[in-house]
Amino acid sequence: MHEMSIATALLEQVQALLPEAATLTEVRIDIGSLEHLDSELMRFAWAALVESEPAVKGSALTITRIATRIRCKTCGHAYEPEDAYTMLCPQCGAAHPEVLAGSGIVLKGLTVEQPTQA
Amino acid sequence: MEINVVENVLKLNDEIAQLNRSMLRDAGTACLNLMGSPGSGKTLLLEKTLSALRDEMRIGVITGDLTTTRDATRLAAHCEHVSQINTGKGCHLDANQVRQGMATMPLDELDLLIIENVGNLICPIGFDLGQTVKVGLFSVPEGDDKPAKHPYVVLEAGVLLLNKMDLLPYVPFDMDLFLADIRAIREDVPIMKISAASGDGLDGWFNWVKRLVGSEVGELLET
Repeated sequence: MHEMSIATALLEQVQALLPEAATLTEVRIDIGSLEHLDSELMRFAWAALVESEPAVKGSALTITRIATRIRCKTCGHAYEPEDAYTMLCPQCGAAHPEVLAGSGIVLKGLTVEQPTQA
Repeated sequence: MEINVVENVLKLNDEIAQLNRSMLRDAGTACLNLMGSPGSGKTLLLEKTLSALRDEMRIGVITGDLTTTRDATRLAAHCEHVSQINTGKGCHLDANQVRQGMATMPLDELDLLIIENVGNLICPIGFDLGQTVKVGLFSVPEGDDKPAKHPYVVLEAGVLLLNKMDLLPYVPFDMDLFLADIRAIREDVPIMKISAASGDGLDGWFNWVKRLVGSEVGELLET
C-alpha cells in the first residue's frame, strides 16, 4: 500500500528532469518482481497525482516488471525462482540466495513534448 | 522527445539512509530495524529488551505508528531516549523520518539505536533506513503461513523471531511448516522462538543483541 509514496517520489524526480516549458506524455519505470508494488495501484496513484500538475497532467506510466534472478551462494548456479516463497536452487537444492535482479524501482525514461519554436 | 535516464526512484530515501548509516558508524552506534505485523509484540519485546540490557548498554528507540504516543510512553519507562514518529496514514518509516528521530538523540552516547517500524510486514521492507540489520518478528497467533506469504522479510532479515510461543497450545500452528517455509527461502537465517510475555527464549535474543553491539559495527553494516 505504499504505491502513493513511491509515485510521489517518482513525480518529484520526473519534475526535476523535465526540460523547461516541456510537457510530459510518458514515464517508463522498471519494477523488480520482488518489490511489494502492484502495477495497477501504481498507475492509479500516478494518475491521481499528475491530475493537478499542468506539465505532467494526463501522462502515462509504463511499467516493466523485472524477473527475479538469483545466484546460489552454495553452488554458484544462476536461476529464476518460480515464486518468491521458494528460493530453492534447482541445481543443488540449497536456499542460499543472492539476489542478482528483481529488486528496486528504476526510472528508465521520459517522453516529453517541447513547445514548437515561434 | 525521449529522455533516457537510469535513476533509482527511491534515490532520495536511499541517499538519506546512507547519511544515517554514516552518522551511526561515526558514532559507533549499531542500529536494528524491527519489523512485524500489528499486534505481533514488537513493543513488549522492546520493553523487555530495554529493561534487561539497561545496565549493559545505552539504547535509544525510534518508534513509528500512524497515531498516538502510547508506544513511546511505554518505552520511556525503560529508556531515556525515545522518539515517537507519527506517520499519519504512512504505512512505513522512511529514512528522513528516522533522520529526524536521530536528531533528538545523543548518538555518540548510544551503543544501540532500535527502530520500531510501523506494524506492517509489507511496506517497511522496501525502505532502507540506514540500519545495521533488519529483524523480522512473527508471532504464533498470526499463523504458520506468514513466512511464505511475506517472503521478503525472510529474504532480508538478519534474524527472525517467533513470538508468543506461550500461546502455541491454544492456537492452530504447524511449526514444521513454519520452519520449512523459512528454510525454502533462506537456509542460513537464525530463527529464535520466544515469548516476550513469559520471558521464555529471551536470553538468546539478548545475547544476539549483545553480539551485535559488541561487534565492529562497520563489518555488519548493510550496503
